[in-house]
Order: sequence, then structure tokens, then C-alpha cells
Amino acid sequence: MSKVATNPENLLARLKQAQDRLGYLPEECLAEVARSLNMPLSEVYGVATFYSFLSTRPLGRNVIRVCKSLPCYLKNSRMIVESIEDKLGIRPGGTTPDGRFSLALVNCIGACDIAPAMLINHDVHGDLTPRKISRILQSYE
Amino acid sequence: MDEIRVTIDGKQLSGHPGMTILELARENGIDIPTLCYRPELSLLGACRICVVEVEGSRTLVGSCHTPITPGMVIHTHSPKVLETRKVIVELLLASHCGACFMCDKANICELRQVAAELEVGLPRFEIKKRYYPIEDVSPYIERNLSKCVLCRRCVRACRQIAKRDLFAVAYRGFDAKVVVDSDRALDKEACRDCDICISFCPTGALSKPRKLSEEKKGKPLVITS
Ligand code: SF4
Ligand code: FES
Ligand code: FES
Repeated sequence: MSKVATNPENLLARLKQAQDRLGYLPEECLAEVARSLNMPLSEVYGVATFYSFLSTRPLGRNVIRVCKSLPCYLKNSRMIVESIEDKLGIRPGGTTPDGRFSLALVNCIGACDIAPAMLINHDVHGDLTPRKISRILQSYE
Repeated sequence: MDEIRVTIDGKQLSGHPGMTILELARENGIDIPTLCYRPELSLLGACRICVVEVEGSRTLVGSCHTPITPGMVIHTHSPKVLETRKVIVELLLASHCGACFMCDKANICELRQVAAELEVGLPRFEIKKRYYPIEDVSPYIERNLSKCVLCRRCVRACRQIAKRDLFAVAYRGFDAKVVVDSDRALDKEACRDCDICISFCPTGALSKPRKLSEEKKGKPLVITS
């Protein structure tokens, strides 16, 4: 990536702040950040869509991020995803109609020792089994 | 400034500090294929086609962005280098859309040229093809991103030469894509019709929209018997 005349560190921090405040990054917000950092919108959009913890679409109240990297995959993360899909009736990238959950697949979340693992909001859940999933999901309103 | 002495393909050569392996090689008539590199643009090292072997280095290095250092011993055409380059091109082609014989730009395509030079044959890898509908809203540029190899030459050319900064790469992994604004079709307000990105694109991804009626302007078809 060529150097942009602004500090890319500011960009990420700004996007994270906005996401924490609004729950996602609507286009007007990206345009505003671009203007204030004097960067092209395309560059800001590029960064916002690169990171799986930033979202340009509205998300549910609770965001489930299931790890799809190899160690979790070998511990059958596919089964975890399927059981969440069954229970919530949504696919990765989707949000339940009541806005309670969004589901996403992400790369390694650094919890390989308790694979298969997932994050719900900021909580790590590991050694997952379909049985455990129901209980965990119930604890999020 | 001190000269830097290196060995490329058994030849003793010397260059000045800051020179890349590629620059020194080309200056001395040694050909290394490139795709994302252009001398007018900033160095990026995105495509890896220019890899060479440097003795003592754990991995192959990109010659277009690696500066020479004293005593380097470089092989630009060793079997390992050639095999690696070939696989890189095969992988680029594996996700590249369709067939060259359907493409207008086949015979000015740098990807195809590199593939031909490396004698890359029929695809060995069966993977998903990139598919995007053609973007032809702009009167100046037609983008057919199914043909894009993500070399980012258009991104850099628009930023560094045209000074417009319209493009950036968004999304990640296989979904990575060169976008305008928040992935909007390019419109005429933003682009000022300089054609610079089109001339920099190594593939058929960017072209001038063809206006058949304009090609025949003022020359109605007259049938004389
Ligand atoms: S559109 Fe062309 S120049 Fe731009 S990244 Fe794709 S292949 Fe490279
Ligand atoms: S691979 Fe799943 S947490 Fe690391
Ligand atoms: S030409 Fe060197 S990495 Fe693309």
C-alpha cells in the first residue's frame, strides 16, 4: 500500500471508536472520517472492510464470531457453525430478525488451546460442543 | 557514493546504494519477469513473479523491491526460481476469469505474456473464479474486474501520477477488490478522463468504453450500385 499523507493508526482508532458508538460503520460515517483525515473514501472503506471486527452493515446486539482457522477446523468448528445456524436460523453474515444475534466466521482468535472456539461480543468461549452452545446462547439477551 | 558489488547469475556486477536487484539486473541485460512493478510507481511487491534466489536467504526474495547489499550472490533463473514463478502464474490464472481467446486484450495482456514466456500450460488448479459484473457507468473507463489480478497498478497510478486517488483495495483474501468510494460504480464526476489507469493495467480489466457509433461518425453507410 502506498503511503497516504495521514497516519493510518488514527484511521483504525477512529473507525473503532465510531463502531463502538454506532454499532457499525454507515457510509456517512466513513465519509466523515475520510474528510477529517484527508483521505479518499475508497481507502477508508478498504480498511473498514478488511478487518473482521469492523462492519459496514448493522449488526445484532450480540455478535458471535466463530473461528474458522485450521486448528479449530481440525477440532470440528464446522459442527459448531452448523449447530448455531440450526439454533438461530441464520447463516454466517446474517442477523436474526429480532436483532439479538449476528453470526460471523473469523480467522484465529488466539484461543487455539481451547479449540473449537468462538467469541460472543468480548467473551471467549472454548472447547465448544453443540450441547454447550445452547446454554451459552441462552445467556445473551 | 560507494559502489556495491554483487554477483548475478555468475557475473560480477556493481551498482549504487539503493538500487534494487531488478534494476541492476535489467541494466545489465538480465531479464526478470514482472507484473505489479512499474518503474514510474512506488514499489509494492504484490505479485511475486519477480522472485529470485539470494544465497543465504531462507526464502526467495522479490527482486523488484529488494535493494542490493554488498556481496549478494543472486540467481535469477535457477530451477527453483523458474518453478516458483510458474506456480505463481498458474495460481493467478487459476482464479482469473475465462479464456484468453474470448478476450479483446489477449494480445496486449502482460499476464498472458508472462504465462507464455514461462510456458505455463493448461490450469492444474481447480479453484473458484473471480466474477464481477462489468462496470460501464463511466463514459471514460470500463472496469471488468473479473480480469483483475490485484496488481494495484491502477491504484498507484491514479494516486501517484494522475493525483486523483480514486481507487483502493477493499475486503480481504479471495474477496479483495479494487473499489471506488464505498464500492460504487465509477461515475464521471470523480474521474477526469485521463486514461492513465487504463494504460497501466496489465490485463484486460480496464479499458476505454467502445463507442461504435463514434468510430463511424460522419460516415454513414452508403450503398452505391
Ligand atoms: S484493474 Fe488492472 S491495474 Fe488495477 S489492480 Fe486490477 S489488474 Fe491491476
Ligand atoms: S485457530 Fe481457532 S482460535 Fe486459533
Ligand atoms: S513484480 Fe515484483 S512482486 Fe510483482
